Amino acid sequence: MAILVDENSRVIVQGITGGAGSFHTKRMLEYGTKIVSGTSPGKAGQKIEGVPVFDTVAECVAATRANVSVIFLPAQFVLDGAIEAIRAGIRVVVVVPEHIPLADMMKVRQEAKEKGALVIGGNTAGIISPGKANVGIMPDIAFKPGRVGTVSRSGSLTYYVADTLSSSGFGETTCVGLGGDPILGTTFEEILDLFDKDPDTHAVVLVGEIGGVYEEMAPPRIAEMTKPVLAMIAGVHAPRGKRMGHAGAIIEGTMGTAGEKLKALEDSGAHIARTFLDIPVILNKLGV
Amino acid sequence: MRLYEYEGKELFKRESILTPSSRLACDVESALSASEVIGLPVVLKAQVLTGGRGKAGGVKIARTREDVKRYSEELFSLKISGFPVEKLLVEECLNIEKELYVGISIDRVRYCLALIGCAEGGIEIEETARRFPEKIKRVDLKVTEEMFPHQALFLAKGLGLAGSHLRPATDTILRLVRVFRRYEAKLAEINPLVLTTNGKLVAADARMSIDEDALFRHSELSEMGIEKRHEEGELTEREKRARENGIPYLDLDGDIGMFPGGAGFGIMGIDFLNFYGGKPANFMDSGGGPTPERLAKMLELLEDNPKVVAIFGARFGGISKCDDFARGVVMFLKEKGLTKPMAMRMTGNMWQEGVRIFEEAKKENPGLFTNIEIYGIETPIEDVAKRAIELARKRKEGARGGHSC
Repeated sequence: MAILVDENSRVIVQGITGGAGSFHTKRMLEYGTKIVSGTSPGKAGQKIEGVPVFDTVAECVAATRANVSVIFLPAQFVLDGAIEAIRAGIRVVVVVPEHIPLADMMKVRQEAKEKGALVIGGNTAGIISPGKANVGIMPDIAFKPGRVGTVSRSGSLTYYVADTLSSSGFGETTCVGLGGDPILGTTFEEILDLFDKDPDTHAVVLVGEIGGVYEEMAPPRIAEMTKPVLAMIAGVHAPRGKRMGHAGAIIEGTMGTAGEKLKALEDSGAHIARTFLDIPVILNKLGV
Repeated sequence: MRLYEYEGKELFKRESILTPSSRLACDVESALSASEVIGLPVVLKAQVLTGGRGKAGGVKIARTREDVKRYSEELFSLKISGFPVEKLLVEECLNIEKELYVGISIDRVRYCLALIGCAEGGIEIEETARRFPEKIKRVDLKVTEEMFPHQALFLAKGLGLAGSHLRPATDTILRLVRVFRRYEAKLAEINPLVLTTNGKLVAADARMSIDEDALFRHSELSEMGIEKRHEEGELTEREKRARENGIPYLDLDGDIGMFPGGAGFGIMGIDFLNFYGGKPANFMDSGGGPTPERLAKMLELLEDNPKVVAIFGARFGGISKCDDFARGVVMFLKEKGLTKPMAMRMTGNMWQEGVRIFEEAKKENPGLFTNIEIYGIETPIEDVAKRAIELARKRKEGARGGHSC
């Protein structure tokens, strides 16, 4: 099994006629992902890589029974595109573009919560369930099917972790990129919950980085996990960043530093990996 | 994206939040004439995009014309956290009865707007929040939720206000929320919100930060001269050059140049070099889908940096593909050439094409690649980091050996 996407996922590409949209449609198809249709208002009737184009998401859902969407629209159109997808009944929306206005992402998250959908990103590399489906921009060379789940905020770090898991023989059930934007549609603990319920996932690797608040929200869920969680945080030696005014400091307190994140994760029972090569060593020790 | 105090106050005024009467001055002369219009005494406030202004001596009270001249000369020669003072806000002196705090920001944990008030405003607000959390009053708002007067009233009472002060406080709070929403701020803060001796509530300071990703729908801000700007204080020459080319870049203290892919590995790479005993010379991020031209510029920043003795390169092609990466490297080698040793690893999307581009360039001119070691997926990135450290060590030993001969 996998989480979020698998060989039965029926995926649409929002913005399929654009440069990034068409390029990655081809890649996703080559991987075996079921890309059933795409949207580009005004271009209904066209085909991209053999995939039919519709004006709206609702038409994609009606004609091709789509249930997953990956968005390759410019950042300023993501609010409309994501809400359109959620209202059309799409249950997993993957937002690849970066620099989405904060208020827009908060509205998208609110809509998703109300409708029971999951929005991944923005600025995510996507979701891949190796051997089954690749939804987004992840380089498939790094990934092999296996028994570890990965959830990460950084695209580049995700690839290195996958590469390590593949070459050490563990492989992955699913790898989820949460995205690098400051407001995320989905957070670590929500993905941990899905991995915990997936019988084929034997352990989870969580990859975070300095800044933001999302790593600090994961520990309560980690403490309740029935399977081991490994955690890695980038930025132990990074220069200290800026802070967001007094209000930011009052709301977020000491959250955001690598030290605070590692401490919170370790206290909740996560196993800390300093480098990628530590990951298979720890997994072997745990007998995963 | 941080705004100057005077810009924040301009936005406050547009929403009818009371601010002290003030004029902007960009030299001593205009500070003097501003003080005449406003009437002495005046407050002279350095306009810089950084906090800690008061503690750095960036705020002066001038009681006489001589004071205005002397202090403004002083302030115009001041640097605060690396920011030179180019503008002063000349402001009327308020008669202060009490200093309060009101701020609004985004709570990313609860996915809401958080409105915060405290009866004790001023520079010690964070310390107060830490030591006496019960003194902080808070109202949460969903991003799409209307703010009602009774919620502002709750906060106003939390500021310790009563009677005739409640109405103006409620109005000020509602207006601050409107400013925050209208311009898509990340932060709007009045600290202090001054209760004057004649019972008025005046925003003595304005701290605003705007969501730069939402600027495209706020032409009214660009009409005011508010455009995308950096907030890191004084940049080094190299940081400025990088910025002009759209490359996020920071100078660090070490001697190994970092030529990474995404920001995530840019940060992790700094850790790896440190873990294995190396010291990075920079942080850099190529951004998503960089052009070969931008990649060539990234290498140029390292080649030109006299502190850099070796380079650690990494590309895991995602949205930024290996063929573009290889093209950028080859472009740089052909145009400028690399005199510094580089250990780099390349894999991911389009890696075969990247390898082919390197092979072809090598066949044409093998000399270009003398200083470069290119690794693929079979070599762990940790080993490539160690190799870069090794190359740096050798280069430094070689340089020392050369001097002793």
